[in-house]
Amino acid sequence: MLLVITYSQAARQTLRNVCTTHEESVVRRFGRAALFETTEFGAFVALRLRAKHGADVQVERTRPFNEFRAVPDAVREAATAYEERQHESTPYAKFAAGTEYPSPETMRQSEL
Amino acid sequence: MNVRVEDREYDGPAVDLTTESVTAAEVLAGVRGADGPVTVSCSKPGRVHDYVGVVREDSTLPTRAALAAAARSRGLSAPQDRQLTEAEERLAALDPPTVDLAERRTRVAATTGAETELRERVATLQGRVQARRETGAKSAEVEAELAEATRELSEAETERIAAEQSLARARARVRSARNVRRERLRLQDRVGNLRRAARRHLAERLHDAFADALAAMPGRATAGSTPGTVEGDETTAALAVARVATLEAPVVLDCRRFDDADEAVTRLDAPVVRL
Repeated sequence: MLLVITYSQAARQTLRNVCTTHEESVVRRFGRAALFETTEFGAFVALRLRAKHGADVQVERTRPFNEFRAVPDAVREAATAYEERQHESTPYAKFAAGTEYPSPETMRQSEL
Repeated sequence: MNVRVEDREYDGPAVDLTTESVTAAEVLAGVRGADGPVTVSCSKPGRVHDYVGVVREDSTLPTRAALAAAARSRGLSAPQDRQLTEAEERLAALDPPTVDLAERRTRVAATTGAETELRERVATLQGRVQARRETGAKSAEVEAELAEATRELSEAETERIAAEQSLARARARVRSARNVRRERLRLQDRVGNLRRAARRHLAERLHDAFADALAAMPGRATAGSTPGTVEGDETTAALAVARVATLEAPVVLDCRRFDDADEAVTRLDAPVVRL
């Protein structure tokens, strides 16, 4: 999808107007951001916003997230195990210490 | 106040220009000190004058904002003022840099396209060399072509990588510039909210005085249930705002609500130019 984020009052207002006018191309609306469908029309709408408001409009392309393809098993398993931990107050770093689960630091340094 | 139209002069707080053929806009320009057919020497108009500087029969009035300005003219302040000034100052100090990525994106797209083309060409030439070798035909010429294409491909690859790295670095700069933009938007919203809250507060402070003034003015209008709103005729509302405000500069009356300029001065408690 195309993620459009606005950074000024004028750009935010235009985004709102555009979302109302082209509801069929909008996947989701947030306060000052919206997700548009990945169609040429979605791109057209995003580029119009950028043409009008320049650097106050950020456009990014999102990708579907498949954790079974993009994420190592250890990270997935760590997430599940941590959410099932016995003591709510245990921080993850402590939880992972001395286990096969990756440390927060290791994960931070590894790009998906 | 002193008003001059051509060689005719008018003095005092109540000036009647009904015999002159001048427009409200011309008188207002004079009040604001602009050159034109009407010259006015008077006190400098304040903020409230933006709302009630001219009152005409079809006046429309953002009542709450006008009333808030009237309150300010009376020296009232709002509890939001300090925070408001602070937010406005911080906002004025923000100057988000603009980093344009379009050129870098274009370069990434172009170098990627060139690389793909060359890669295909190398694959084709490799196929041809292979075929010639298998059939025992001479392949030296094609091999030279392949070597050249391979060299070009390697250059294109280097260029594409450089373009991508340059874009990545610029994106990092944009990210921090966007933090400034985000902060600017937050402050703009904050200033807007504080201004609205201050206007509401100030309009509330004058609510009773405004209701009394509305009742005392010619025309039909009453104060609305929420402070700073009015039900009925907005020209009457404008007159009432002029009445509750402390006005040093004259109100230009382009409506026939009072018998004469003197009566208007008394009822509005402000200098008046009547058209």
